[in-house]
Amino acid sequence: MRTAIKGLEWLVEQMGGLARFCVLVLVLLVATNVILRYLFSIGPVSLQELEWHLVSPIALLGLAYSMKHRADVRIDFLYERFSVRGQAVVDVVASLLTVAIGAIIAWLALNYVSHSYQLGEGSPDPGGLGMRYLLKAFIPLGFFLLVIQGVADMLRGLVQFFEPEDPVELPESLNTETA
Amino acid sequence: MVGNEWLVIGMIVGFLGLMIIGIPVAISLAVSGFVAGYLGFGSTLFSLMPARLYGVVTNYTLLAIPLFVFMGVMLEKSKVAENMLETIGKAMGGVNGGMGLAIILVGVLMGASTGIVGATVVTVGLLTLPVLMRRGYSPSVSCGTICASGTLGQIIPPSLVLILLSDIVGESVGALFAAAFIPGLILAAIYIAYLLLLGVFKKDMVPAIPQEERAQTSGRQLAKDLMAHVMPPLLLVIAVLGSIVGGIAAPTEAASMGALGALLIAIATKRMTPALLKETLHGTLVISAMVFFILLCAQPFALAFRGLGGENMVHALFEMLPGGEFGAILFLMALLFVLGFFLEWIEISYIALPMFLPVFMNYGTDMVWLAIMVAMNLQMSFLTPPFGWALFFLKGVAPKGITTRDIYVGALPFVALQLLALVVLFQFPSLVTWLPEAIGW
Amino acid sequence: APALANAAASKESFNLKMTNAYPPGSPFYVQGPGSPMDFCKKVGEMSGGRLNISHFAAGELIPALEGFDAVSQGTVEMNAANAYFWAGKIPAAQFFTTVPFGLNTQGMMAWLYQGGGLKLWHELYEPYGLVAFPMGNTGVQMTGWFRDPIETVSDLEGLKMRIPGLAGKVYSELGVTVRLLPGGEIFPALERGVIDAAEFVGPYQDRRLGLHKAAKNYYTTGWHEPTNVTELLINKKVWDSMPKDLQMIIQMAAQASVLESLSWSEANNADALTDLVQNEGVIAKPLPAPIVSRLKEVTADTLLTMANADAQTKKVYDAYMAFKDKHASWAALSEKPLLNM
Ligand code: NA
Ligand code: NA
Repeated sequence: MRTAIKGLEWLVEQMGGLARFCVLVLVLLVATNVILRYLFSIGPVSLQELEWHLVSPIALLGLAYSMKHRADVRIDFLYERFSVRGQAVVDVVASLLTVAIGAIIAWLALNYVSHSYQLGEGSPDPGGLGMRYLLKAFIPLGFFLLVIQGVADMLRGLVQFFEPEDPVELPESLNTETA
Repeated sequence: MVGNEWLVIGMIVGFLGLMIIGIPVAISLAVSGFVAGYLGFGSTLFSLMPARLYGVVTNYTLLAIPLFVFMGVMLEKSKVAENMLETIGKAMGGVNGGMGLAIILVGVLMGASTGIVGATVVTVGLLTLPVLMRRGYSPSVSCGTICASGTLGQIIPPSLVLILLSDIVGESVGALFAAAFIPGLILAAIYIAYLLLLGVFKKDMVPAIPQEERAQTSGRQLAKDLMAHVMPPLLLVIAVLGSIVGGIAAPTEAASMGALGALLIAIATKRMTPALLKETLHGTLVISAMVFFILLCAQPFALAFRGLGGENMVHALFEMLPGGEFGAILFLMALLFVLGFFLEWIEISYIALPMFLPVFMNYGTDMVWLAIMVAMNLQMSFLTPPFGWALFFLKGVAPKGITTRDIYVGALPFVALQLLALVVLFQFPSLVTWLPEAIGW
Repeated sequence: APALANAAASKESFNLKMTNAYPPGSPFYVQGPGSPMDFCKKVGEMSGGRLNISHFAAGELIPALEGFDAVSQGTVEMNAANAYFWAGKIPAAQFFTTVPFGLNTQGMMAWLYQGGGLKLWHELYEPYGLVAFPMGNTGVQMTGWFRDPIETVSDLEGLKMRIPGLAGKVYSELGVTVRLLPGGEIFPALERGVIDAAEFVGPYQDRRLGLHKAAKNYYTTGWHEPTNVTELLINKKVWDSMPKDLQMIIQMAAQASVLESLSWSEANNADALTDLVQNEGVIAKPLPAPIVSRLKEVTADTLLTMANADAQTKKVYDAYMAFKDKHASWAALSEKPLLNM
């Protein structure tokens, strides 16, 4: 079971790597576009479109990644008073719901993407980027990854519930403390 | 229709229930939305979902989220933020609450460059919360201050809320920007006054840096530190604002000047390493995705609310509207406040405002003033427990040891202060209308 | 049997949803005389309540530009927008909104209603399960707002302008840097000089955005949008399932909306322009002739290149241009001397 968790999370981590790269490209691209336009009056429509095209992989591939790194926002009044097993139950329920939501949305979005693919949809602006269905494809992909992460979390919760004294290590959480 | 009304109520209660037991907020939103929508409509309603999700992830103005978060994480990881706050704390001398004031100022300055709650709260939270905690600030005061200053960006122009409102009330964006300027500063001033009063009456909640420690830093050293630690981030803020004011960048893309600047500062101060860059990208991705997760999962909820005729319920309430302009405004404010408990501001603006506008037009209400009152009110809803978006976002980046309770308790006084600001604007409408008229916008 | 079916069906009523590409409250595009909301109301009254259309502005149900897919797939039955928004899906669609240096409003109506345009439009949309009708018209639009006067072609070199679509492509050939910006950011960007010029709609709508506070030179000749047709999009299955009388009500209400929205625009633009010039210090003037003729040359090339890119576009282009030539010779003899009087 531990191997399964590792394998699933490896996939989420790899896709997260791609999204991390998109963050860097986004920062450099927007800044470059501003500077090129101001100094040299250069501003191709395609590069302007690429700016917001990059938000899609960052937001969607990042969903599962942020869940893996425990950056999901939750209200913890009651949660922190539960026993380890009680918390494990909440975690398993949350992960089941995550799997359900991810699967429903991924499934709904497949049709949306294939419609765009059949149209050969591109930018309505001349000089814009083509293949808009690739951009749209991040919706089912991102939510599919959420299903993967949900399954991993569910397995972890089960281990936690049945072997509370020997829990599976959580992935390194986001450390915001500067100390 | 009667059945659907119960579904809407059930959806809201369900969301609350899931959230309370510790299910992630995003998942709670999506689950309650899907279940209620499905019970009311079957699967037909949700075929519109992908279009809404696509609208969120391709929204141009949301570009500012990863850019500002990158700036915040980079400044935090490279310890620039920490040094800045410590130095300001020392420079404030024995004034209790000094670092809190610095946070309000950061909020004002960041607010002047973006209007996205998620981006500012998260950035300010990352930058300042750990330092405040170490310096013995009370967790709740720290959290309240951060959330309040992080939401200032809503009212201080440029702001998404104002842009949307300008469309709805039919006044120019420029007029609303000018009109919001003084109210934004008044709100910041009220916050500052509150922190200074806390510093006098509850000094252990907002302690100044101890005398012994300040004594270790000579006046000259302090001046040097100010140059070394406060100048770089200050320059960054100037770069962001300056690029807007100087006509170099449009409001959204100005965020990239901050991100690039943070990168350059890290390089110039010789703190940049491959590991630091990787950590920064990791932090930016995790936090940005967290914000987007909530925005995306709010879509099924909002769609179900619409589909089930939630706006009809609002409409029915509206029928009970008491007479007179004063009554109508009071009612609008109360309604916005309550809707703000469970709906995102975009939904609120779309649902409630178009219904009220004809009424106020009949009364001859100044639309610019009304829009600012509405913006101020929506801003208040960002801070109101249990569903204020700002509170969720801060929870997402808060260090261990900060509880939801700290954040909720901390936010309450600031909600009261915003209410005070609202009353002030109500009593003195010229605070809103004077500037746009004076500069002819 | 069909006659009988029709008689029975005529008691049938329809509850339909209409989405809109424009945000709530927008005059002309959402509310006001001849607007989509007005159309819904007209249709409801004309049909005695048998056609009940609920209107949703952009963002209320789906984002602004998602109407095409939603109606095509039948999740929403109707949408109000401009056909050129779908250029990324069907390049030829833009001929049914406006064409730079193309037909003016009279010519466009003549082509659509009498010159085979509407038939071509329906042919084009058939594979997507859609039917379309004109449902409004802004009339001629304005070149836009410029911070500095434009005297010669070389003044365009390096100019940063907010202008979407085909016209943007034409400007960029003349050295203009095209900046795409959402509606709300146009004002702050123009006011601070991030962009030097911006195109939006016409005097009434532009004044509402406050663009005159940001730039004073207001140029005319709507070369880039000599007319602008609002599109009513209907799901074809729903359309085919409607009895003849309801179909006719929709068509006639749409035609009435064209007339009403156009006359509303013309009257309000006249008032707004007077106000802008007399009270706001706006300088309204036509673009210098050499610039216009240069733009015209580039436009001709750009359109031809676009038309040759796919057969469908070429077909619509040929039909449009043939009608335009015919109409131009008539207009040159009739309207032009009249306007010059
Ligand atoms: Na702002
Ligand atoms: Na709220």
